[in-house]
Amino acid sequence: METTDLNLFVRTSEETISDWNRSRITDALIRETYIDYDTANEISKEVERMIWKSEVKMVTAPLIRELVNAKLIERGLENERKRHTRLGMPMYDVDSLILHPNKENANVPHGPEATNLTLAENIKKEYALLSVFSQDVADAHMNGDIHLHDLGFIDRPYCSGQSLEYIKKFGLNLPHSLSMAKPAKHPEVLLAHLVKFAAALQSNFAGAIGWDAINIFFAPYLEGMSDDDVKQLAQMLIFEFSQQAVARGGQAIFSDINLYWEIPKHFVDTPAIGPSGQFTGKTYGEYEKEAQRFVWKLFEVFKEGDGAGRPFFFPKPLVHITEKFFKTDGYMDFLNHISDVASDKGNTYFVFDRGETAKISECCRLSFKLEAHDLLDAKQPWRMRYCALQNVSINLPRIAYLAHGDDTKLLSLLTEKFVLTVKAHKEKRSFLEKLLSLGEDGPLSLLTMNRDGMPYLRFNLASHLVGMVGLNEMVQIHIGEEMHESKKALKFGLKVIAHMNLITEKIRTQDNMKIVLEQTPAESTSYRFAKLDLHHFSPASGRIVKGDISTGEVYYTNSTHLNVKAHMNPIERVTNEGVFHPLIEAGSISHVWLGESQPTKEAIADFVIKTFRYTSNDQIAFSPEFTICNTCGRTSRGLYEICPSSTCNSPDVDGITRITGYFTKISAWNKGKLGELKDRYRNAEFFGGQKKAVNE
Amino acid sequence: MGIVKIFYKDDCPMCPSAKNLQKNLKENNVGVESYNVGTAEGLAEATFYGVMALPAVIIEDEMENSLGEWRGNVPKMEEVLNVVHGS
Repeated sequence: METTDLNLFVRTSEETISDWNRSRITDALIRETYIDYDTANEISKEVERMIWKSEVKMVTAPLIRELVNAKLIERGLENERKRHTRLGMPMYDVDSLILHPNKENANVPHGPEATNLTLAENIKKEYALLSVFSQDVADAHMNGDIHLHDLGFIDRPYCSGQSLEYIKKFGLNLPHSLSMAKPAKHPEVLLAHLVKFAAALQSNFAGAIGWDAINIFFAPYLEGMSDDDVKQLAQMLIFEFSQQAVARGGQAIFSDINLYWEIPKHFVDTPAIGPSGQFTGKTYGEYEKEAQRFVWKLFEVFKEGDGAGRPFFFPKPLVHITEKFFKTDGYMDFLNHISDVASDKGNTYFVFDRGETAKISECCRLSFKLEAHDLLDAKQPWRMRYCALQNVSINLPRIAYLAHGDDTKLLSLLTEKFVLTVKAHKEKRSFLEKLLSLGEDGPLSLLTMNRDGMPYLRFNLASHLVGMVGLNEMVQIHIGEEMHESKKALKFGLKVIAHMNLITEKIRTQDNMKIVLEQTPAESTSYRFAKLDLHHFSPASGRIVKGDISTGEVYYTNSTHLNVKAHMNPIERVTNEGVFHPLIEAGSISHVWLGESQPTKEAIADFVIKTFRYTSNDQIAFSPEFTICNTCGRTSRGLYEICPSSTCNSPDVDGITRITGYFTKISAWNKGKLGELKDRYRNAEFFGGQKKAVNE
Repeated sequence: MGIVKIFYKDDCPMCPSAKNLQKNLKENNVGVESYNVGTAEGLAEATFYGVMALPAVIIEDEMENSLGEWRGNVPKMEEVLNVVHGS
C-alpha cells in the first residue's frame, strides 16, 4: 500500500486537519528519539498498516503517537519511548478539573485562571518526572518514599526572601517590561513598586516571597507624615497584598513581611535610603521611632481585619523577638498590641532570634540564619537576597515499617533516602542552572537581571531543603509509643533528627551544597504519604495513620510535631516541640490551636515571653477559628455548621482557620487536613472559652 | 548520688580535659555517661539538654533533676564530687 492510497485525515496538534503522511512518524522518531532511519521507517509502516486495517477515517496526533509508542515497547526501546512521550491529560481529568476545585493547595481558588495553572502544573509535573529527574528519584516520588514539592513549578526556584532596599535603590526596572520606573519618591509609589515586584517574583518562584524588616525600610519615607496617613499606608499595604487575587492562577501572593520593634544590631549603622533612591545621610538606627510607628499601625489594621472583620490571609506578619526587643522602650506595650492581634485574629507569628542569631523568615516555616557574609551584606541591604531552590520531604513512617524495629536498619534506610533527596536536589539545581545560563533571553530573565554587579538570584548562596513528615508516627511504629507519651519516645525522635542534621553537615562539606533541614509544611504531603502507606503497608499502617480511615480523612503528623490530638497544655507542647528546633536550621514552628477561646492579650504576651526565655522553640503562632456567614455577613468565633446568629441560622457558611502556615477557608482543604482539623486539640481549658461575633 | 553527663566532640579544643574528667570520675566510682555530639545519639542528648557550648557537664539526681551544670568549660574534679555527693 502507498501512503497516498490511504484516504485518512489527521487532527494535528497545531489545530489543523492534514492528509495522512507516514513520513511524519519517521521524522518525529528520528528527531525525538535518535533511532536509526530503518527502524523508524519500519515502525511508521507498521502503524500505517494498523490504522489502514481499522478503516477509520480520522485519527488524532496523540492516538498516532501512542500507537508508535506501542511499537517502541514491542521492540524493547524503553528509553526511546520515554523520549517520545506525549505529555497531557485525559479528557475526563480535564473535565473534572474545570468543574471542581483543586484541593492540593488551599491558596488556589477555583476559576479559569486556576484551571490554567493546574493544567500547566500537571504537564510540568510529568515533564519533571520524565526529563529533569532520574528514574530512581522519580520512582521514589511516585511511590511515596519521598515527595518532590512543587513539581508543577519545576522551572522555577522554590522561594525567595529579599529586601525592599533593592526597589528603593534601583526602582522597578524589570527585563522585558514595557516601562521602567525610577526609584520611588513617595511612600505610596514605593508601596506600588513593592506589590508589583512581589507579583513579578511570584511568577518566578514556586512558593513564598518574603520581605525583610519592611517597617524599618519604609521608615525614611514616613518622616513628616501624620499618624492617620501612616495608618492609611499600612492599610494599603495589607489590602494590596491580600487582594492580589489576580496574579498567578488567581492565587494571592504567598507573602511574608518580617517586622521588628527594635532596629536589629546588624541594621543600626546601615546608611538609610530615602526618596528617589538617595541616601538620607542618617542610619537606620536613627529611624527607630518611624519604624515603630509603622509596625504599630500595621497591627492596628490586622486587628480590625478586612471589611467583614475577618482575618487577612496575607501578608503574614512575622515579628522577630530578640534580646534587644526587651531592652527597647515600649516593648511591653507593643507585645501586648501584637498579642491582642494574635488572640483576636491569629495573624501574628512570633519568631524567636535568641543570642546572636539573626534570621529572615520566608515561607510557612522556612527561615534563613544570617551568616557572617550576610551580616556584611547588611551594610548594603539590597544585596540581601536569598532563596531555596527546592524542597524534598522524606516519608519517615515508611522507613519505620521497613526497619522492623531494628535501629541500625532504620538509620541506614534514612541515610539512603536522604542521599536520594540530595540527588534530587542536584538534578533540579542542574536544570535551573541551564535555564539561568540563557540569561535575559531565557525563561528566568528576571532572576538574571544584574543591577548591582551580580544576578538578582544569588545562585551560589541558594539553599536546598530537606523536610520530614511523620516523625511522630515513625517513632510510634519503631518503639511503640508516640512522642508525647514518654521521654524515651521523644528522645528517639530527637536521635532521628540528629542523624539527619549530621548528614546535612557531611554533605555540605563533601558536595559543597547548602543542604538544610526544614519542617515541611506538607499541606498535601502528609495526606499523600498516609494514603500511600495505607495501601502499601496494610494492616500495620491502619493502626498508625491519624484521622479517620472510614472517610479517607487520613494524615501523618506534620514534620516533628507532636500528635495534634494529644491533650497537653500549650506550654508543654511548645517546650517539647521546641526541643527539635535547634536541629532544624531552616526553621520550625509550633501551633497553638485556640479554637473559639480568646485569651487575654496579657496571657498571650506572658506565654510569648516564657517561650522565648525558657524553651528553644523557634517560632509560635496562635490559631483561632472563625465561621463566616455568606447570608448575613456575620463573622463568628469558632466553627459552626450553620450561622450561630439566632436570626439567621443559614447553612451557607465558611469556616476559616490556619491550615499549615496560613489562614484559609476550610472548604478548600484536602481530606487529610480536614481529618487533622477534627483531631486538633484546642486549648480552651488553658486559655478559657468565649463565643462572640467578631464583627458585632 | 548524682549521675554525671559529659558532652564532647572530637575536634573541640577543650574537650580532652572533659575526657580526663570522665576517666577520673570513673576511677572514683562516680556514674558517668559521656556523649559525643558528633554522633546521632550524642547530638540528640545534647539537644535535649539545650547544650550549645562544648564541653558541657551536667549532673542530675536519680529523678533526673538538675544538680549542677557547666557549659563551655570543664569543672574541677572536686567541684563535681561536691555536687555528686551533695556536700
